[in-house]
Amino acid sequence: MYVYDTLDKEFLADRASEFREQVGRRLSGEITEDQFKAIRLMNGLYLQLHAYMLRVAIPYGALDARQMRKLAEIARTYDKGYGHFTTRTNLQFHWIKLADAPDILDELASVDMHAIQTSGNCIRNVTADPFAGATAEEVDDPRVWAEAMRQWSSLHPEFSFLPRKFKIAVTASPKDRTAAKVHDIGLVMKRARDGTLGFEVIVGGGMGRTPYVGSTIREFLPAARLVSYLEAVLRVYNRHGRRDNIYKARIKILVAALGAEEFGRQVEAEWAQIGPESDLPDTELARIRSAFAPTAFETLPARSEAFEAAKAADKALARFARNNVKPHKKPGYAIVEVSLKAIGETPGDASADQMDVIADLAERYGQNDIRVTHEQNLVLPHVKLDDVPAVHAALAAAGIASANINLITDIIACPGLDYCALANARAIPIAQDIAEHFRDQDRAEDVGELKIKISGCINACGHHHVGHIGILGVDKKGEEFYQLSLGGSGAEDAAVGQILGPALPAHRVAEAVDTLVEVYLRERSAGERFLDTFRRTGAAPFKEAVYAGAH
Amino acid sequence: MKALTANRLTDGEVVFWNQGRWVERFADAELFAEAGPGETAEGHAKAQPTVVIEPYLIDLIEAGELWAPLSYRERLRALGPTNRLDHGKQVEGGDVVEALQHASGAARSTGRVNLIKRK
Repeated sequence: MYVYDTLDKEFLADRASEFREQVGRRLSGEITEDQFKAIRLMNGLYLQLHAYMLRVAIPYGALDARQMRKLAEIARTYDKGYGHFTTRTNLQFHWIKLADAPDILDELASVDMHAIQTSGNCIRNVTADPFAGATAEEVDDPRVWAEAMRQWSSLHPEFSFLPRKFKIAVTASPKDRTAAKVHDIGLVMKRARDGTLGFEVIVGGGMGRTPYVGSTIREFLPAARLVSYLEAVLRVYNRHGRRDNIYKARIKILVAALGAEEFGRQVEAEWAQIGPESDLPDTELARIRSAFAPTAFETLPARSEAFEAAKAADKALARFARNNVKPHKKPGYAIVEVSLKAIGETPGDASADQMDVIADLAERYGQNDIRVTHEQNLVLPHVKLDDVPAVHAALAAAGIASANINLITDIIACPGLDYCALANARAIPIAQDIAEHFRDQDRAEDVGELKIKISGCINACGHHHVGHIGILGVDKKGEEFYQLSLGGSGAEDAAVGQILGPALPAHRVAEAVDTLVEVYLRERSAGERFLDTFRRTGAAPFKEAVYAGAH
Repeated sequence: MKALTANRLTDGEVVFWNQGRWVERFADAELFAEAGPGETAEGHAKAQPTVVIEPYLIDLIEAGELWAPLSYRERLRALGPTNRLDHGKQVEGGDVVEALQHASGAARSTGRVNLIKRK
């Protein structure tokens, strides 16, 4: 894990102190709300429906036990005892008081955390593979590059006032767990035949009002040239991005308008001018890399007899192993995914007590390493197979042992109209309804991988465009309706879903999802996921079933 | 019928206007049958930038024998989140909270829309 040096710590302390002064000036009336709003947003503080919301940055979704405990403490002291993990792998507190915000930033700074660049038209928190450093699939540890980008982009003066916000994802595995192709820039690490490392650079993906799957503008960028190339992309965007129209200001609109080829050509020309001087020196990269050196793994047999015996004796553990336990690069270890999608609960929410349990487990069994996924779950990336039964038991006792990763009840949902000032409709109750409907775990496993993603407005924080089943809440004359789309994917086979038909009222959504699942079960060929069947059959049988009788 | 609402500066709490004071419960809000007094109150509220943020008038409808915000969004603000009935103003319960929970009016929050348009 990257450790902040004295300079980083002093900077965070100064920043928190500066914000305290700014809050004081706002409360005294020295500055207006219009003047203050930009300042509070730069520190992650939004005003939502019921209170202020503080969005805490979790750089590339990685944190340690000490930081998780601090989040739990803040949840207890300043919020209502819980936090909400987001699709940006950040954590939101939804019941914050403005007057408390400076104290909270101090608390965060005490564990090297902050809320900088969680809002505004800047480079936001970089998303990285939550299995980084643990999966055998990766060609390199993407956290090294995510951290390099964090340092490069933090308060970068040239890129602090971009036309619009800017999101980067990096993965080093062919299996994409970052939604790289629907980011402003998606970086997929590859190793060339001669062994050199590089990135496929994908630009102009995005969701929101105008969804796009990004276009590859460079098949192979030598890894050491990353920063100068990113600089070139951002300069072209900064130069031509539509500052006149918020709906056309994201880079995806520029890439679509120019065409990926022309955009790429302009980037290459800019890059040639920048030259390698902007790139990180090898010594600096080596320094960052050393922070992610693998911790000591024991030499263990690939098969754990204790784990096998425990699974044989405990059906719940066996189910957990099937769905939440993933192969690790080291024999005898596993990646354990912790679902924050218990049936009936709010997707992505974790109570302070649950956060403490995760912190304890990370410390005791998981090399003090915790990850947040963009699917609103947590990961303990390094757990010995021998210890999985104990981890499962502790998770079960805390109510976070749902064995449903990637299944139909592992639903992404944004906070929606229950909290968000931008939302048109609620998302959470729809997720809860669907999860209740598929409570039967055998049936959920029979259905297999099915990603449902729900957004309460077109801004698409719930990633509905890339859901196998996407659900978008819309406002029809003040009433909540839900538009279904099918066939989306945020993974390596990225696609934007197709709208199925007219929006449905809230009470019909779970039933419609059930109908879609029944069509899939009827139509599927051996080994096909829901997405595969949809891609083969097209929308017709699904549409026919959902809208049968509706005229 | 209208009421005047805003978020309190210090903590973001949803508040309602009543005779020059800000109250937390919709049940205690002043109701304006005429446009004039409501707009006058809105003017006073806007002159309190260190007390509240973005005050605006909301439309009300009859809910049984009581009044409730017409828009769903405003009812949620007056109640709290529907996924956590143990959070927000709804915790207190009472007739007005119950009336709001069962109100069925549907419309956009006109006060909110006007506020956005003015920006």
